[in-house]
Amino acid sequence: MLSKCIFSVKAPAGPPVEIIRHTFSPSQSAKPTQRVSLVTGLHGDELEGLYICHRLIETLKKLEEQNAVKGEVHIYPAVNPQALETGTRLWPFFSTDINRTFGEKNTRSLVTEASRTLLEDLKSNSDLVVDFHASNLHLMELPQIRIIKNFEKKLVPLAKLCNVDLIWVHPHAEIFESTLGYNLNQAKVPTLVIESGICLRIHKNYCEQIVLGILNLLHQTEAVDCGEFLAEVAPARIVQPDQVTMVQAQNAGLFVKQTEVGQILKEGEKIGDLIGPDQMPEDIRSPCSGLLFTLREHPLTGKGAPLARIATSIEP
Amino acid sequence: MKEKVLSIPTPFGAPLVLYKNTWGKSDHSETLAIVSGLHGDHLNGMHLSSRLSQFLDNIVEGGDPNYTLDGQVIIFPVVNLNAIQSGSRLWPYDGMDMDLAFPGNPAGETTEALASAVLKHTVNADWGIILQSALPHYEDAPHIQTLKMDGSIKKLARDLKIETVRKLQPSPQVNLSSHWQDMVSVTLSSGSPRTLNLPQCESLFQGIVNFMQAEGILKDRRKTKSDKNFPTRFYQPENEVTVLADTAGMFLHEVKVGTLIQEGQTIGEIRDLYSGKRLEEITAPADGFLVTLRQYPIVYEKESLATILTTKKSWWDIF
Repeated sequence: MLSKCIFSVKAPAGPPVEIIRHTFSPSQSAKPTQRVSLVTGLHGDELEGLYICHRLIETLKKLEEQNAVKGEVHIYPAVNPQALETGTRLWPFFSTDINRTFGEKNTRSLVTEASRTLLEDLKSNSDLVVDFHASNLHLMELPQIRIIKNFEKKLVPLAKLCNVDLIWVHPHAEIFESTLGYNLNQAKVPTLVIESGICLRIHKNYCEQIVLGILNLLHQTEAVDCGEFLAEVAPARIVQPDQVTMVQAQNAGLFVKQTEVGQILKEGEKIGDLIGPDQMPEDIRSPCSGLLFTLREHPLTGKGAPLARIATSIEP
Repeated sequence: MKEKVLSIPTPFGAPLVLYKNTWGKSDHSETLAIVSGLHGDHLNGMHLSSRLSQFLDNIVEGGDPNYTLDGQVIIFPVVNLNAIQSGSRLWPYDGMDMDLAFPGNPAGETTEALASAVLKHTVNADWGIILQSALPHYEDAPHIQTLKMDGSIKKLARDLKIETVRKLQPSPQVNLSSHWQDMVSVTLSSGSPRTLNLPQCESLFQGIVNFMQAEGILKDRRKTKSDKNFPTRFYQPENEVTVLADTAGMFLHEVKVGTLIQEGQTIGEIRDLYSGKRLEEITAPADGFLVTLRQYPIVYEKESLATILTTKKSWWDIF
């Protein structure tokens, strides 16, 4: 494994701010067959990706010793280092969401310099990118890949290799245009965005599930011959925009969940209680049958806040 | 007049209420929409809105016989209500940038519902002005930011008596300004976050009053002459020069934002936090107008310290 610092700036006090890329490549000088990049930590409070990268680095080190690495695998384990150090979603000194700065040309700041450098490095070193995210503070997510409708044809076959429970094809929205995933896909570098768990926590089972999926992806794209580490992956449920039902809070209050993500719900089944300012609990029930793949974890709930998402598609 | 636009229940307290101020009727007359307080620490804009509200209230109540209101004015003085309450820039619950919540969603979360309401009540106006301060850690000279530079924008700038107009590049970030592109709209940026600059506000207030008179929204019986030769400078994105720090430390500036500086002129210096030694002298790489200057002194390497609008390719518009 070779490590390279792709971005470094001096800090006014303390160590520099650095973005590191680890690379696994063939031992011989043969031209790599496939270049796959794995990115994590755009949001500093999303820790699942860090653990997934740790587990993948462990395995890839062994595979590199066995000369099983055929292409190049680049791992960028902490691309928002100051946010990771402080456990915050945003780049702390500027309170900026780096995943809303890709492609930005008007503002020259440390954050936009970092996002521009990362984007260019990924574009010049990757045939395929996986961008790992956990959810925000509010929602628990079943391991899933989200794909903007325009990129469906190219990305769904790759997403099926990743051992996620769900592949959610959703419509394009302007808000995605400043994200890493959108900018790479626009630049014809296929990029999968994985969403799993919740921020500030590690769900070991979800992480192990995704590690198996990424090893399968690396194997099937011929970047790595995973050999003994290869395991059968489960087929994902593919859902189109009209097959996702969102349950939103109709009032403000405290949401107390009564189920877990991954459950197959029946129409009318109880999801939780929403206790309003009048102290009267409101039953929150599923409006349809299907797979519960998003569930509110943060009890404090405003009107209109998402409580749950249910995939109504048929079995995978 | 103050009007409740939206009431959103909160988990434990009183509802969150979004208000707008409206004067005049929209029938067959021009409408001006002004929005401030998208960020909770942009105080200049909020003060300016309240100053305009007081002025317009006085007119419609007959307190100022010199003026009559012939058009309609809509002002949203404060939008990011929770950020203002907590003294922060962003929506405190989830760090959401309110300006990036547009177009919003009436059935969505609180920020989305607020954004949707603001857009719904302003998007049919003829004119739009967003009042903002500089980004965190910076100070802006009063200037207009716009995504297009046509005759209407040039006239608007001249009527507002703002000398500096800066065209921005299209951005992937979608905000209120992007959704106001069917009207003649600009962003008026001035000062620093968390800081109130009263003389600057007063100057901008006079500019907006002048604009309302020029467009016939406001009539002044005294028949004052408008200054059609007010000099306004227009800058394209390629005229901007960003001065970056080559090292990290404490930046001490020697120039004032809003001044013309010359190539080679000292902007400031960066000193080492441990030894106090000068690490770098920052000089202007080109002649131009210093539109943005770093105010917060602690800086990282590669950070922007100043933005200069160069005069080489700009043109003076006098018509």
